[in-house]
Amino acid sequence: MTQDTKEFRMQEIHTPSAFEGALWTACGIKDAITIFHSPPGCYINQHVNMLVNDWKVDLYSTNLSYANVMQGAEEKLEEVMRKFIAKDPAAIIVVTAPSVEVTQDDVEGVANKVGFKDTVIIRPPIGGIASDGRDEAFIKLLDIMDPSEEKLPNSVNIIGPTFSTFNWMADVCELKRMLEGIGVTVNTVMTAGATVAEIKRAPKAALNLCMYPYDCGIKTAKEMEKRFGIPYFDDIIPIGFENSSLWLEKIAGFFKSSDTSFVKKEMQSAIEFANSNMFFTVTFEMTASLSFDNNNTYAVGISEFYTSEAGTKVVACSVSNPDAAKRIGVVCDEVLLNGTIEQKRDKLISTAPMAVFGNFYDKKISMDEGFQNFIFADIPTIGYMGTENCPFMGYRGAKYLVQCLVNEVYMGIFLETKGEMEGKISGGVVPWEIKAEQALMKISEMMPHFIRATAVKKLHQVAEQMAVDNGTDVTIEIVQKVADKFTPTKFKAKFSEVFDEVEPQAPVDEDEEVPIKSLTFNMEWDDEAKDMLEQVPSPFRKVAVENTENYAKEHSNEKVTVAVFDAFRKELGM
Amino acid sequence: MPLKSYEHCCSTIQALASLGKIEGVIPLLHGPQPCLYQNQVGSMSCRPAQLLTAGTLINKSDVVFGGEESLKQQVKNIYKKYKPKMIAIINTCVPQLIAEDIEGVIIELEDEIPDLKVVTCKSGFNYPRSMPLGSDAAWAALVGGFKEKEKVPGSVGIIGRTGQDAGNMAPIDIPIKKAGIKTFLFPAPHIDEMEKIVCADSLYSIHITNHLTSKKIKEKFGTETHFIEIPVGLEGTSNFLRGVADRENSQKLHDIVDEEEKRVRPEFDRIKASFAGKGYRMLLVTGPGNEVSIGKIMAELGMEVFVVPCMKNQLYKQEKTIMEDRYGVTFIEKDFDLLEDLIEEIKPTFVSCEFQAQVETVRKFVPTIINMMYLCDYGYDYAIDLGTNFLTTIKQPVYEKWQGFVSKYGG
Repeated sequence: MTQDTKEFRMQEIHTPSAFEGALWTACGIKDAITIFHSPPGCYINQHVNMLVNDWKVDLYSTNLSYANVMQGAEEKLEEVMRKFIAKDPAAIIVVTAPSVEVTQDDVEGVANKVGFKDTVIIRPPIGGIASDGRDEAFIKLLDIMDPSEEKLPNSVNIIGPTFSTFNWMADVCELKRMLEGIGVTVNTVMTAGATVAEIKRAPKAALNLCMYPYDCGIKTAKEMEKRFGIPYFDDIIPIGFENSSLWLEKIAGFFKSSDTSFVKKEMQSAIEFANSNMFFTVTFEMTASLSFDNNNTYAVGISEFYTSEAGTKVVACSVSNPDAAKRIGVVCDEVLLNGTIEQKRDKLISTAPMAVFGNFYDKKISMDEGFQNFIFADIPTIGYMGTENCPFMGYRGAKYLVQCLVNEVYMGIFLETKGEMEGKISGGVVPWEIKAEQALMKISEMMPHFIRATAVKKLHQVAEQMAVDNGTDVTIEIVQKVADKFTPTKFKAKFSEVFDEVEPQAPVDEDEEVPIKSLTFNMEWDDEAKDMLEQVPSPFRKVAVENTENYAKEHSNEKVTVAVFDAFRKELGM
Repeated sequence: MPLKSYEHCCSTIQALASLGKIEGVIPLLHGPQPCLYQNQVGSMSCRPAQLLTAGTLINKSDVVFGGEESLKQQVKNIYKKYKPKMIAIINTCVPQLIAEDIEGVIIELEDEIPDLKVVTCKSGFNYPRSMPLGSDAAWAALVGGFKEKEKVPGSVGIIGRTGQDAGNMAPIDIPIKKAGIKTFLFPAPHIDEMEKIVCADSLYSIHITNHLTSKKIKEKFGTETHFIEIPVGLEGTSNFLRGVADRENSQKLHDIVDEEEKRVRPEFDRIKASFAGKGYRMLLVTGPGNEVSIGKIMAELGMEVFVVPCMKNQLYKQEKTIMEDRYGVTFIEKDFDLLEDLIEEIKPTFVSCEFQAQVETVRKFVPTIINMMYLCDYGYDYAIDLGTNFLTTIKQPVYEKWQGFVSKYGG
């Protein structure tokens, strides 16, 4: 009988919704009271998950019960709003929860009844993504703005940064610095870090700048152009030295400023940076994988910067916006659009990057697959502290993107190629089969030049040690095993073709029982450690013994204890 | 007069790096703290394990009254802790300046501890201007500690370059082995394996940097080392292997070379065609000897090549003649003040130089490779890999972008 199967895709679970987008946008406004019109569980989750990125205490809730939702929650909302009105807030922002959207509570009616002037109601669309929620919130905020015919000279608004936008604080700080450098003032940041007064005066700006054009803000900018007559720029992403300059030059051109001294000074500093640092030497042979499901703009900007100015190949990129995917496709061969975690894992293995940029999930799969060099660059993070330091945007951002990559990868790869501090260099006089020698030679050609010689040495040593332990010559099977286990940053996929001719091992009989007593131990084992092998599925016990003993030897342990067994399990991520 | 030294490091670091890559040997640095610290830190990146170094940390009173006692004590300490097969004292400039009697210390120690084997590597002031000679001096010191062994008839020993060649001589070893000839490789990652070089019936050097080692082997064990040419690229590798085949009377090795040539020639032709007519000029400035070997590959692939050599020994002279005659390579043996002067004069498309020299090439955004990263260069396949990927690796468009920045913004 044929069974219907449905592809199980998990990407929706790790992607924030329009509700998150709306809440992050609202909560970023310093002195506004944000009420999440929601059940308590919904509230607490949103609050906690927001706190891990941005510490915002003032999020309130109507704490709806099942009965409230079923019978209408208007009274609860009115009660909460009146409590806050008594405290004379700068503004009240009500964001509705999905359950309220299902029952379609008359939130606007409550607001009218309460009658507080600066009330904003945001009803995020069910099924929308975070960007939809952000734009929905931005546009609703336009209602409390003071329409103004008069524009402040040389002033701009920055549209886009909200709470839980990765690194927003550092990027805004850098862009403000740059704009100040060309004599332009930032009138309002929409919305992270802004006050209600700043939001209200947004129409006074002469120009709007969409900071994340591949994520949010353009819809808002268009609406502001219609309502307040403010033109906008959305075509240059200020990531990288060149684009930062082009961005500033375009803005300066808009304001008819001919003073280019700031751009010149910054670019001279960039040139000095390239001249004075371990930049090209290392970045030219690096490869990076970018995973930016929640920041497509970063993906576009960073992939172009790394490729054209730092010589770093972006081997894979994951995004959620089709336009971003298309643009990145020019510099990157492997672009995933709304990829699942499993697809990203496969891509990591097949492209074998030296550094991975991404979120918590990317970090986890990187660790699982042995990719040690990781740079947090997107949400979710499960806790990441952001400050004004370390931007990704602007001139300082370009320097930081090089700095973090070089520092993470260069030292990491060097250390990966080393044996133990006092470890052996060679196991003795060990003959090599010709096929094994050829395989190692091919492997060496696949490694970046800056680690090739030392990395090959490590593989050489481990292969010989394994041969000594087995009492054999170094065979191609040993080289394959060693390459698989000890390759720096796992060039596994590339290496697999070297071993095409190796006969696959017989499949494991999963039903076969392998009693602990039947196992061969080449080292001394504590009884407790042996007992722990009971937890290992039967068909894998033999391999577990072998690998644990190798681990113990590598770490200069004379016998396998519970602590050694545990440490090895941890290293495997178990 | 040169205003800088464009070597990767002092010959002492190279000696330490080379000795630090051999299991069974413990190097002991004999010198003052600044020298030892720099040597230790400088050798870290290329040592595979055993990352700590023992040193004598000569102080002022050692300089005045002699540091022999401290040295003796430190050798004993090492022996007690590690029981190595050999302790190699790496001598540095200060003990050489005060003419310390290292050999005397060794004799006394070996009298006291009969199982102890100590050798001394005379780097430092002896080879101030050539990093690879530190390696050669280190090998020569080890050979001095080897014992006579029975020779294996018909066997071939291959003597490579520096510590980096340990474990990286497969492209030359494999065809000779396939021809049924027993091989011994030098260097190797274990002292026992290295010592077997004395069993080789005939020896072949595959680089220019092992002149002292070869001399020492001949002096102590009577085996002559033949230098045919550096086996890199197509012609270099084939000529070397055919030279071995002729000397060892092995038709099988000739047949293997024929097969290999058939396999790789189309690839070489493809790369040459991709370089043809582009006017590529490559300047390779003093390195671990690979300014000659990488230069030879690039010249064979069709670039106009300029080489500043790291040494001018007999082997270099032979290789130089081959490269001049075969590919018209230009060797720059005269002194120059700064690399940027040479760049100004030669106007290379690409430069291969040491890390420290790169600060001068980056200033002008001249596409550059760091020579210390381009090792393991023997055989056919390395050249194919290098040639195929060279333009991708060097990333000329990125340099052009930065040159554009300089034109537009100054700096």
